[in-house]
Amino acid sequence: MSEILRSIFSVGTFNQMLRSATPVALAAIGGSMTEHAGIMNIGMDGMILMGAFFGVLGSYLFSSAAAGLALAVLMGILVGLFFALLVVKLRSDEFIIGCALNTFALGLTTYLSRSIFGAAGTKGNPFLPTVSLPLLEKIPFVGQILNGHSLFVYLTWLLVLLMWLFVYKTPYGFWLRAAGEKPQTLRTAGVSPEKMKWLASILCGIFCALAGAHLSLGQLNGTFAENMSNSRGFIAFACVIFAAANPAKAYLAALMFGFFDAIGLRLQDYISSDLSGMIPYLITVIMMVYVVVRGQRRKQRARQNTAPADAPPAAAGR
Amino acid sequence: MQSRKQERLGYLLSLILSVILAFAIGAVILAVSGHNPAQAYLAMLSGAFSSLRHVGDFLEYAMVLCVCGLACVLAARVGIFNVGGEGQLLLGAIAACQVGVWLDGQSAWLVLPLAVLAAVTVGGLYALIPGVLKVKLKVDEVITTIMLNTIAAYLCQFLAKGPWKNANKNIVAGTEQLNARYWFGGLVSGSNLTTAILAAAAIAFLVWYVMQKTSKGFEMRLTGQNPRFARFLGLKTDRMVLLCMVLSGAMSGLVGMFRVYGAEHLFKSSISNDYYFEGLMVAMIARYDPLTTILLSVFFAILKIGAQGMELSAGVPNQIYLIIQTVIIFFMAAERGIFAAIRERAARKKAQWAAQARQEGGAAHV
Amino acid sequence: MQNRAVTFEHVSMEFPGVLANDDISLEIKKGEVFALVGENGAGKSTLMNILYGIHTPTAGRVLIKDRQVTHFHPKNAIAQGVGMVHQHFMLVPSFTVVQNIVLSREPRKLGVFCDEKKALDTVERLMEDYGLAVDPTAVVEQLSVGLQQRVEILKTLYRGADILILDEPTAVLTPQETDELFAVIRRIVREKNMTVILITHKLYEVMAISDRVGVMRRGKLIGVKNTCEVDEKQLASMMVGRQLLFDQLEKSGTPGEARIEVKDLVVQDNRGLRAVDHLSVTVRSGEVLGIAAIEGNGQNELLEAITGMRPVQSGSVSVCGQDATGKTPGQIRAMGLAHIPEDRLATGLSGEATAADNLLAGKHRQRRFNRFGFQQRPAAIAQYAQQLYDRFDIRGAGIDAKAGSMSGGNMQKVVVAREFSFDTPVLVIAQPTRGVDVGASVFIHERIMEKRNQGCAVLLSSADLDEVCRLSDRIITMYEGKITGEFSADAVTKEELGYYMTGCRTGKEAVHAKP
Repeated sequence: MSEILRSIFSVGTFNQMLRSATPVALAAIGGSMTEHAGIMNIGMDGMILMGAFFGVLGSYLFSSAAAGLALAVLMGILVGLFFALLVVKLRSDEFIIGCALNTFALGLTTYLSRSIFGAAGTKGNPFLPTVSLPLLEKIPFVGQILNGHSLFVYLTWLLVLLMWLFVYKTPYGFWLRAAGEKPQTLRTAGVSPEKMKWLASILCGIFCALAGAHLSLGQLNGTFAENMSNSRGFIAFACVIFAAANPAKAYLAALMFGFFDAIGLRLQDYISSDLSGMIPYLITVIMMVYVVVRGQRRKQRARQNTAPADAPPAAAGR
Repeated sequence: MQSRKQERLGYLLSLILSVILAFAIGAVILAVSGHNPAQAYLAMLSGAFSSLRHVGDFLEYAMVLCVCGLACVLAARVGIFNVGGEGQLLLGAIAACQVGVWLDGQSAWLVLPLAVLAAVTVGGLYALIPGVLKVKLKVDEVITTIMLNTIAAYLCQFLAKGPWKNANKNIVAGTEQLNARYWFGGLVSGSNLTTAILAAAAIAFLVWYVMQKTSKGFEMRLTGQNPRFARFLGLKTDRMVLLCMVLSGAMSGLVGMFRVYGAEHLFKSSISNDYYFEGLMVAMIARYDPLTTILLSVFFAILKIGAQGMELSAGVPNQIYLIIQTVIIFFMAAERGIFAAIRERAARKKAQWAAQARQEGGAAHV
Repeated sequence: MQNRAVTFEHVSMEFPGVLANDDISLEIKKGEVFALVGENGAGKSTLMNILYGIHTPTAGRVLIKDRQVTHFHPKNAIAQGVGMVHQHFMLVPSFTVVQNIVLSREPRKLGVFCDEKKALDTVERLMEDYGLAVDPTAVVEQLSVGLQQRVEILKTLYRGADILILDEPTAVLTPQETDELFAVIRRIVREKNMTVILITHKLYEVMAISDRVGVMRRGKLIGVKNTCEVDEKQLASMMVGRQLLFDQLEKSGTPGEARIEVKDLVVQDNRGLRAVDHLSVTVRSGEVLGIAAIEGNGQNELLEAITGMRPVQSGSVSVCGQDATGKTPGQIRAMGLAHIPEDRLATGLSGEATAADNLLAGKHRQRRFNRFGFQQRPAAIAQYAQQLYDRFDIRGAGIDAKAGSMSGGNMQKVVVAREFSFDTPVLVIAQPTRGVDVGASVFIHERIMEKRNQGCAVLLSSADLDEVCRLSDRIITMYEGKITGEFSADAVTKEELGYYMTGCRTGKEAVHAKP
């Protein structure tokens, strides 16, 4: 038993946790934007895949990881614009568009990858640097966990903070949330909710592109594999729901997914990684039910508080 | 004012236009990536029709798309969106498969009905969860079904790797193979097509018949269109939604059973490669009309199998069909918005003119 | 002249098919409380929405503080100092009070960040200044309706409004909250020289708070009076008007046994407030019982509770002698009740379905429309639908056209045709001719009278007082969930009804009015 615990709480587990969590967290930050703007975005998986592919393509074409990153972000913006055009401007069903976007991305990236790189895919393109701080290395346990990761593992911390500030501390964040919750209110206050939704879509496109680029250019050192997003978009979506679209909480949720992913790999000999992988999704469903039920209860209670004062207590209790 | 006939005509027109545009965009992508579009499309056509084997393959895939699509249509008809078909399909498949493994040696007359029962029950119950959450607690069914999909995939993976694993070491994640006497009979040798398609055809007919021709289907339609109105008329809407969700799950589970007892003969995760999602997309393009779903299933199955043939003969990656398919969806989904925008602009212009005319008229009065 | 806050000059507003405002000229002075009264659909809200820049008038000019409005947009109206508190609050439920008040005009620090401390200080100063206390850090969705309204007022003040429009502010308030609101209005007018425009249809409020009052009816401004020079009775008669639009209908037969019996009924509205308050009423066969009430006084909730569309808190309902309390709409229909709902698009039909399907709905299980009991017979259905379509003189693109594409009047005829063809002994009818043209209204009235003369028990509710008077044998007035009076339709004038509907007189006096 102690062996199991030691295996769970080892450097390797937490290292792996950070690795698995980062791409999911990046996408989840983007998803938080659209979620706040009142758009149910299940097309994140496709957005990640596009980012992963165009990151590698840029790196391959220009022999530079930075160029790859730039191309990925550019495509992310385009995808975000496209998504907003359909969902916000043309008022198409966001679910249909999200679904189709996933499949479209799978088709396009696989097609282009096979056309350009052949069936074997591509490997060993210039990739994003890993960061290793000698100072950090010296701290025994924590240092080993935190040190030596790809660039975006650290940048993500910064981005989480930035986006958290954006959503909760700037006027734009307030408008964004109002656009999703009560667009009419924002409109009568003189701000266009549609514009905020466009902004959210573009931000989501950028963050998903970063997630993808990190995956291919960072984590896998310049490799693109077909369908390499591997449902991370849906995990990110679960994180967004779980975290009620708070970027900081979404990062924690991503860490949770990463943790279960990591111990799944570690404890293969003891329990199946498939069973442990299931846990975060189960928690998400339970959370959703809990949130809805709590919301209904709260509303009921608020109602009782505002019930007319002259109502007899018996009626109020019913 | 728009009659149903006009609407159908409009739908047909925009569908044809979308398909043409999608193929045009596909041609551009082909040309840019260095293939000859005409050649590729011809290869696609011959890939689907050049041999009986290919025809059999696309018919089998059409069956999968069609039953999955109809499962989605059935739920959508009463206003609930079953995105969880993939999970229901997988669970139905593994349950049906395991029934066959456990009862190995028994008569096919016992095993097959029990396998069907297992697939239908498991698929239906798994759809009941989001259904109840939606009806009783108003929890959004799209999100729960997406989560339940992943849970089901993990569960099946666990079972296929763990307790129900194949004794053969070469198969990492798969159940035992079924005894050959339980298999659906092949209809075209060398292809995936089996007698399962007859069962699927019967289901498709039944679903179409119930939805379009019976008074129950009429009630379903009313429930989906305006639940408050349906309740106002005295229909039991909650029960209807749950029933349709369960049936939708049962159909998805049955597709899993067809795949196992038809083409694959054992459960492994590749039993469905997001097939339900493809069926769901067909249903979306068909605007949840049963007959259109059936017809479009065949069209998209031809596209997919043809694209696979094209890859072999012309060396063009088959994924071009995914691009074409989704571009059609983008156009079809945006069509209403595009027309609405055009109409709105026209109406605004008209109103401006009218106001101008009135003001001029008013000025004349003064 | 510096004492004009708002001037309307020959303002007209035309929506497709409706003239909501008809050549209105009106001046509102600075520092006064101006009340705008009228029945529902009289055009009060439209006029105020023009002032707030939501609608652009189709003709005429609007001047705010003697400056003509050139571009109608809420942004411009706000900049000119106009603030509006809508009937449905424009608040973001999950935001705090401060966040709601400063939304879109947040004070900033470092260029991009929201200066929450400054916002809090400003709002607290504002609250102190105007004597409007709310916990500034409370989340809005957890506040009572009265406090939410206060937040709305604070929001307009924060934006620098000195002309405040309140759209039926007391409709959602308890009597205590109403008193508090009035105290606030008096204070801001007296101390801050603000102008308040109050849209209402409760006349005692007009008398209590306003300096001047304008009465609107059917899109026209009927008159403007100094409040001290009129009484409620005069206003009521101005509001409802006197003209008789229709011919007299023929009534025959005498009322028979009780078909709807409501006893001591309590029902809540969507917000959980008590909408029907210990109400008892009986409708007999061969009579039309009309409910005269101004919107939001519990009449809709009463009808919905009777027909099973809304849960009953306490009390009982019986239909044709069977207990209908808490039964489903389907069970109550089976007892012999048909129902024309208040909102045809939300409840009365399916806009996406064809006219034929809408006409058939509810009878679709009958043997004559089904082969083997389950397969529909399209020919029989089409024939039946066509028959109803013709009999009820529905004019549209035919029975195969979508109901949603029809005009309001024809849509309503579809609902009437379906519900009347159930041939039930009880009919519950809400707003039978709302948004329906005159020809169709007359037609629908004749059908209702036919039903009555055949011995049907009819419970009718309508915002149109003319309609209630014309069709009913007996009339009850409802105010705040209670019956305030019961009258024989021949022995009562509309002025008198208006008086009871607006809560000027209550139950006890009403007994005397009963013949």
